[in-house]
Amino acid sequence: MSNSSYDFTLIKAGLLVDGNGGNNLQKASVLLKDGLIKGIGNQESVLAPEGASVKVLDYGDKTILPGLIDCHVHLNGIGDGRVGNDLVTLPDEVLTLQSAKNARAHLYSGVTTIRDCGAKNNTTFMLRKAVEMGISPSPRLILTGRPISIVGGHLGYFGEEATGEVECVKSVRRLIKQGADFIKITATGGSTVTSLPYRPSFTKQEIQSITGEAHKMGKHVAAHCTSSVGINNALDSGVDTIIHGYHFDSDGTFNYRPEITEKFIEKGVFLNPTIYQGRKTIKVLESKQDQGTLTQMERENLETSRYRSEKVAEIVSKMVSEGVKLACGSDASWSYYKTGDFQSEISAHVSVGLSPIEAIVSATKDSAKSCWIDDKVGTLSENKIADILVVDGDPTKDINNLRNVVDVISNGELVDRGNLI
Amino acid sequence: MHRNKKVILASQIIDGTGRKPLEESAILVEDSIIVEVANKSEIFQIVKDQEYDLLDYTGFVLIPGMVDCHTHHNGFGDGRLGDDVSEISDEILTLKSSSNARVALFSGITTIRENGPKNMTMFRLRDAIKSGIEIGPRMNLCGRPVCVIGGHMGYFGGEVTGVFEATRFVRSLIKEGADYIKITQTGGTTRTSFPLLPAFNIDELSAITNEAKKFGKLTATHCVSTEGTINSLDTGVDMVIHAVFKEPDGTDKFRPNIAERLAEAQVYVNPTLHVFRARAWEMERLALKRALSKNEIKLLDSHRRNFDQRLIDCSKMMEMGVKVITGSDSSWGDYKIGNTIHETECIYMAGYSASQSFHSVTLGAAKALDMDNIVGSLEVGKKADMVVVEGNPLEEIGNLRNIHEVIFDGNIIDRGSKDSNKVYIQSAPSNN
Repeated sequence: MSNSSYDFTLIKAGLLVDGNGGNNLQKASVLLKDGLIKGIGNQESVLAPEGASVKVLDYGDKTILPGLIDCHVHLNGIGDGRVGNDLVTLPDEVLTLQSAKNARAHLYSGVTTIRDCGAKNNTTFMLRKAVEMGISPSPRLILTGRPISIVGGHLGYFGEEATGEVECVKSVRRLIKQGADFIKITATGGSTVTSLPYRPSFTKQEIQSITGEAHKMGKHVAAHCTSSVGINNALDSGVDTIIHGYHFDSDGTFNYRPEITEKFIEKGVFLNPTIYQGRKTIKVLESKQDQGTLTQMERENLETSRYRSEKVAEIVSKMVSEGVKLACGSDASWSYYKTGDFQSEISAHVSVGLSPIEAIVSATKDSAKSCWIDDKVGTLSENKIADILVVDGDPTKDINNLRNVVDVISNGELVDRGNLI
Repeated sequence: MHRNKKVILASQIIDGTGRKPLEESAILVEDSIIVEVANKSEIFQIVKDQEYDLLDYTGFVLIPGMVDCHTHHNGFGDGRLGDDVSEISDEILTLKSSSNARVALFSGITTIRENGPKNMTMFRLRDAIKSGIEIGPRMNLCGRPVCVIGGHMGYFGGEVTGVFEATRFVRSLIKEGADYIKITQTGGTTRTSFPLLPAFNIDELSAITNEAKKFGKLTATHCVSTEGTINSLDTGVDMVIHAVFKEPDGTDKFRPNIAERLAEAQVYVNPTLHVFRARAWEMERLALKRALSKNEIKLLDSHRRNFDQRLIDCSKMMEMGVKVITGSDSSWGDYKIGNTIHETECIYMAGYSASQSFHSVTLGAAKALDMDNIVGSLEVGKKADMVVVEGNPLEEIGNLRNIHEVIFDGNIIDRGSKDSNKVYIQSAPSNN
């Protein structure tokens, strides 16, 4: 639905949460022109210039806030529990279809920007091209293409294994040439069958060659880390966002490391803790257990997930209380976490000690910061892109009100969430 | 095991078999299959004491899900040539195909025969549908069209030379999942092809049709000049597409003896009338915005004359008893998927009665695809593919556009918002 026949769009709402974490504004208006926010304030003061044509979207007592930014998604994912090793056996065309389906689900659920943290071959770059051609609706895409991994490392099956500093630099350059907006690396193993989740992968020198090249080209680096040594390597080597940040030792025990917290704070690095991912796995597996259909492998998965989930909550709470900044990213549709439910990860941030308003900031302004796009999106402020979410109820009182999506505005255009074409 | 039962009511049921519209009747569906078509009271007698869903379309007309014998899911319908479409990556073409598949389904087309995509794109889409990632109509696929080097649609990846390569390629297509074999027996819009000349030699064409027959697969040939149609008749092709009567020098010349042979051999003809008119429509639309140049006026004139000629030739074929079916050719050229009924209306204009035209997009089309055992009419044992329309299409064929609901494989299809379903609609140019 195009608003382009109007010079201005004026959005009115009972409550405005601007994403900066400060006080809410009652009876607010936001004025849009050419896809940008041109005015913001109370309804008496924010008006279109006299004589201009205006489309008015009056949301009455509803709440408006910045469009949500999910800083960790996997567009290729199906969310039915299958592991990446199985996912990559699907042809690129099918994975691109799944990516388009997920992109749509993100957008319709209120997420206006996503950072994809790893996909097979060129599938996400192809999706972006298709979106530009008008074939498929999508949120703003921040893409890495393929994550860089060591040989046999986590997500290596997506097609970007590198060894040594030269190959690492080459990988960064190749990805940027293909359109990467940032670089994702796997600094430890993970669920990938041939990888070791409790062990580091790249050497510090290799990581430094990646961050150096990426930063030179104005791109940030996010690192998957599920071991304390891996986190330390990444933090010492200039990585900008730590994903998961699990404090596993090589023996599989989870132990809090105060020096990691200190480094996070000192370097201003964001933590994307992916809390709900584990909880979702537990939920699904427990219901399988109730039905008596749990396999031996799933039973083991359930046990590790429970242990990890409990520890993650405990340690992330501790880190938050010490002042570590969180960037909200769902990890959907990895494993069992289906796309379209980013709100569950935001709620999980509340569960580890953030206030609802802080959780909203972690999923808007701070998520934008961690993606290096806070000059464009993440808050409702003048001259930023008009990505706006309208919800029913006050999410700063109850974070679950974020689920009551009324409308989504992307680039100043009202999204037709019923468009299935 | 609990079966999912549905009783479907409508003011009229046109079952597609050619008998009079049924009133006071209902259809009983179990899972994805039609298990009874009978008087309402009989149906309710059958299901009494059982659990079932009632779908009441009183005020509407229930018809079989429609069948389009000729689609191009890779296409955009925005005037671009196949040469340019084929430059786009397989991933993107698969996405476009998927979007077109949904549009087709939302517009009431529950079975399509795709007439030539690039590489594996349509097979991939069908895989994605099978695995539940996507939705789309039933698909009758050819994979890549078989063509000579530089021939029409060669850019999609199906160029072969000689009996050996032709035979091997047919086997490869069948291995990949082809349901029928599409051959371009004359050139076409493809820049390097020759539309007025035949493509394969007879031994090559025979090799293709024989190999297809051996595996029980039908064949269809693209023919935009008469010689191609003659070759097709000589080699036992099952459907001739376009069937344009043009001599090698480009003159239009209807050849009654060829039409007679088409009728005798019971070869289906897919005349693709509207795709010729679609170009004229776009130019007429342009003319409403600005004055056309001399060249454009000439071009528009030739498109109109071409369409009129096709219509006349099609009427003659109909009169001689040739079996004509609806195959839109969308989204090729300027013709967008989701507008199949334009073609059915052209068939009506060419001389079929409303009832024959209706048949051409339902049971007739299903027969042409050898799928009438599962689709094409609302009969016991067939798939529960049906469309609820407003207004009787046998009185006004255009009523086939007034889609109220689409039921596919026994399930109601969520077609999304009204606005989104307006986007693909193409209408005749008008000042409004």
